[in-house]
Amino acid sequence: MIYKKLPQWFLLILPAIIILAAVILIPLLFSLYSSFTSYRLTRPDTLFNWIGTFNYEKAVKSGVFWAAFGRTILFLTIALNLEMFLGLGLALLVSRVTRGQRMLRTIMMFPMMFSPVLVGFQFKFIFNDNVGLVNNALQSLGLSNSAIPWLVDEKLAMFSIIFAEVWMSTSVFAILILAGLFSIPQDPQEAAKVDGCTPWQSFRHITLPFIMPFIFIAMAIRSLDVARAYDIVQVMTNGGPARRTEILWTLIGRTGYVDAKMGYANAMGYVSIFLAIFFTIYFFKKLNAARVELGMAR
Amino acid sequence: MAQVILKNIVKNYGKLEVVHSINLDVAHNEFVVLVGPSGCGKSTTLRMIAGLESISGGEIIIGDNVVNNLPPRDRNISMVFQNYALYPHMTVRENLGFSLKIAKRDQTEIDKSVDEASKILSLEDYMDRKPGALSGGQRQRVAMGRAIVRHPDVFLFDEPLSNLDAKLRAQMRVEIKKLHQKIQTTIIYVTHDQVEAMTLADRIVIMRDGNIEQQGSPTQVFENPINTFVATFIGSPPMNLLPGRVGKNMLEFSGGLILPIPIDFKDIVKPGQDIILGFRADHIMPVGHDLTIDGDSAMIEMSVGVSEPLGTETLLYTQLAGQEILAKMLRPRIVQDGETLTFNLDLGQCNLFDAVTQRNLR
Amino acid sequence: MNINRLSKLKSFFLKVSHHVTLFIAMSIICIPGLWIVLNSFRPTVDIMAKPPVWVPRGLNLDNYRAMFGGAGEGGVPVMQYFTNSLIISCTSTIIALFVGMAGGYAFARFRFKGKNAIFVGLLLTRAVPGVALSLPLFIVMAKTGIIDTHFGLILVYVAMNVPFTIWLIDGFFRQIPPDLAEAAEIDGCTRWQAFWKVEFPVAKAGVASAGIFAFLTSWNEYALASQLTRSTFSKTMPVGLRDFTSEFTINWGGMCALAVLLIIPALILTFIVQKHLISGLTFGGVKG
Ligand SMILES: Nc1ncnc2c1ncn2[C@@H]1O[C@H](COP(=O)(O)OP(=O)(O)O)[C@@H](O)[C@H]1O
Ligand SMILES: [Mg+2]
Repeated sequence: MIYKKLPQWFLLILPAIIILAAVILIPLLFSLYSSFTSYRLTRPDTLFNWIGTFNYEKAVKSGVFWAAFGRTILFLTIALNLEMFLGLGLALLVSRVTRGQRMLRTIMMFPMMFSPVLVGFQFKFIFNDNVGLVNNALQSLGLSNSAIPWLVDEKLAMFSIIFAEVWMSTSVFAILILAGLFSIPQDPQEAAKVDGCTPWQSFRHITLPFIMPFIFIAMAIRSLDVARAYDIVQVMTNGGPARRTEILWTLIGRTGYVDAKMGYANAMGYVSIFLAIFFTIYFFKKLNAARVELGMAR
Repeated sequence: MAQVILKNIVKNYGKLEVVHSINLDVAHNEFVVLVGPSGCGKSTTLRMIAGLESISGGEIIIGDNVVNNLPPRDRNISMVFQNYALYPHMTVRENLGFSLKIAKRDQTEIDKSVDEASKILSLEDYMDRKPGALSGGQRQRVAMGRAIVRHPDVFLFDEPLSNLDAKLRAQMRVEIKKLHQKIQTTIIYVTHDQVEAMTLADRIVIMRDGNIEQQGSPTQVFENPINTFVATFIGSPPMNLLPGRVGKNMLEFSGGLILPIPIDFKDIVKPGQDIILGFRADHIMPVGHDLTIDGDSAMIEMSVGVSEPLGTETLLYTQLAGQEILAKMLRPRIVQDGETLTFNLDLGQCNLFDAVTQRNLR
Repeated sequence: MNINRLSKLKSFFLKVSHHVTLFIAMSIICIPGLWIVLNSFRPTVDIMAKPPVWVPRGLNLDNYRAMFGGAGEGGVPVMQYFTNSLIISCTSTIIALFVGMAGGYAFARFRFKGKNAIFVGLLLTRAVPGVALSLPLFIVMAKTGIIDTHFGLILVYVAMNVPFTIWLIDGFFRQIPPDLAEAAEIDGCTRWQAFWKVEFPVAKAGVASAGIFAFLTSWNEYALASQLTRSTFSKTMPVGLRDFTSEFTINWGGMCALAVLLIIPALILTFIVQKHLISGLTFGGVKG
């Protein structure tokens, strides 16, 4: 009986490891291999055509790739920061409400239930230059007499996409920060009031250090599934028009499925994976530091 | 330094009124203790003075200003909380200096005040630790240090010692008393422990169910409780109470016990009135083991149920007129359970309460 | 007296601006969703009208009727999609919860070498973007013949949800003092019984919120499903939204109707467990 010798903890995490290995690790190893070949979906024999780091070199030399890379970083930075600040603000607003707070909390969670692809369609509809809510409202109010091309102009399209993404994900921050606010002991906040703090000062010196771990948890979670934004972008503009909103994920999807260049797409896929992993680990480090700061480390 | 005046202060939580129009004057440098059973509204009152709770009616004056709507930071008070309320992410030094830093004092002044406070409370060795690494007593001292660095007009304490063990509590009691002598500030101190109240207070304010029952010096409330509640709440052990009735020039109790009317009450009571006789264990002692009594006294025979030797004295649990009675024995000897002794009751120290209103008849 | 007046005025002003800001924030959250619901009941002419029709008129169920109707009238096999989604989401959630509970319990209760590294490693598998994963998965699944099946997608969603489930549940078990299970063991339970009779009931809220998250993730997932499902027999609801788009036009009314159908189950579920959701999300809190 071999399993008798295995430690209990190992048996308990074994199912998780098996599933993750089967569904994520093996395909990733396969894609790692294929990223060194000229694999094309349409010609299976190319899978064995080893071309070394050619795909990676091609990506590094490609202007399109770097443009998408830069846009992705920009998109992530703006979206995550906005989500954090708005989430913090929303959580503070809701936490100060005494009557009807439960209802507000439920409403606040509303966008979390939306499928990202639905969010994409929803805002594609709302920002539609012809029948969209935004243009209709602006024109009816007389604020604009022409149809604003929300999803065509480069800057406006980026704005619309970020708006959709922020609308969808701010509530993740808000909920986690709200959970943090509820877990703060009441006493130190009152002590700060008596010690002469203005509301802003007690927030800055007492509340903020306490909710920092929660902010980092939210950041870590968000960077784990930040690629859900792909669904939104894919639906709203699909990187277009003319690559004006191309981000890494839409570029990968197009290269792989439309152009069928699997090897090349997988090479770029690896770049996006490391990007996500980098962000996640960064926030995990921050999280542990903040926990130590509060004297509550594991 | 400042006086604190509460005029007809009321507090409602929704429809529920928890503090009913109380009045209180605290003078400069006075040490006032609010005492009462838990849930009687002490903390609420203190927090209204601090500005942590809004007031629903009345007026609060600190110094010469009405502060009804001022936030805590504009009242120049400081407060020590029951659970210390230290900032867990700051060291002891930062905790102590926080309020001065907030007030934008310069660093040398902050350092000076912090050092001074740490000396008063002997905290010098822990200055760079975080609260998580301190014992209960040390945390308590940091909390007090944090309150004194600001030189506030008024100190507020909310049950600051209730999380400490008995020995530490006694020790901190002395330190608080010393602190008051050293820094000469008005102090309002909340506790549910009457021993703390008796030992610390210049003036005790006894609260029940959102009302002030009685206020006065520790001796006043101990010797002349205004009603049976104060009589049983203040003093340990609590005052013995015997319900009875006024007869012809005497008091009648169940079981045929008859006692003379204490001289102070002779002209107050009317025959046929239902009364309660109150006397402390210190005033009923076995003959030969008692103090000399100046005025009238009465001899009573009782059999001892259980005795509790405490060293210099022994507590005797006995039965009188169907009531459990506590008596004291000085210069004690061993007492057998069930032994019958003759006791001397000091009538001059007795109180009479009206059985209906429960108020002292004096 | 004057400073008291001023303070009172200031707090009144703060209160008003608090409510106004809150109202604006809540409107921004609600309006896009309500817009979708409203348009699912509007006839296409009204949706397309120029100048726009602001006061809703002629609201009807045509979009829903068309959607449930035959394929000929622009209908989509919506019941089939709904069933697919339901089967896939529920099954994958339940499996993920069991796998996650086992894993979370191991991380919370046992000490072993490399624990943190394994924990972070498991978690990072979640960081792999769906598009990047869909390419190799597509090929592997095509090779093994489980592409375009319920089973294939269930497997993928379990893997997607397990890391997060482990994280949440680990946090929950961590908050339960170990003495609890030990006391139960002294009272004569086996470790297995102690878990189910004592620790599990206490951690139920955490398991519930982990379940919600797993369900919502599976129910709403698009990037992988759009590549790994092709036919009516395995397409899920989010992929079905695509059926209303053609080369140049989008049937907004029909899409809104399907969207409402997509939201309702998520909404109901969230309402049921929303009480636990916030407390369930502390990840072991800052207590760690
Ligand atoms: N925030 C609150 N809401 C409703 N009732 C409260 C609140 N705070 C205190 N009370 C009630 O007010 C009464 C007095 O409380 P408190 O002042 O804390 O008593 P204590 O004398 O023990 O300090 C209690 O009955 C308590 O239940
Ligand atoms: Mg209290």
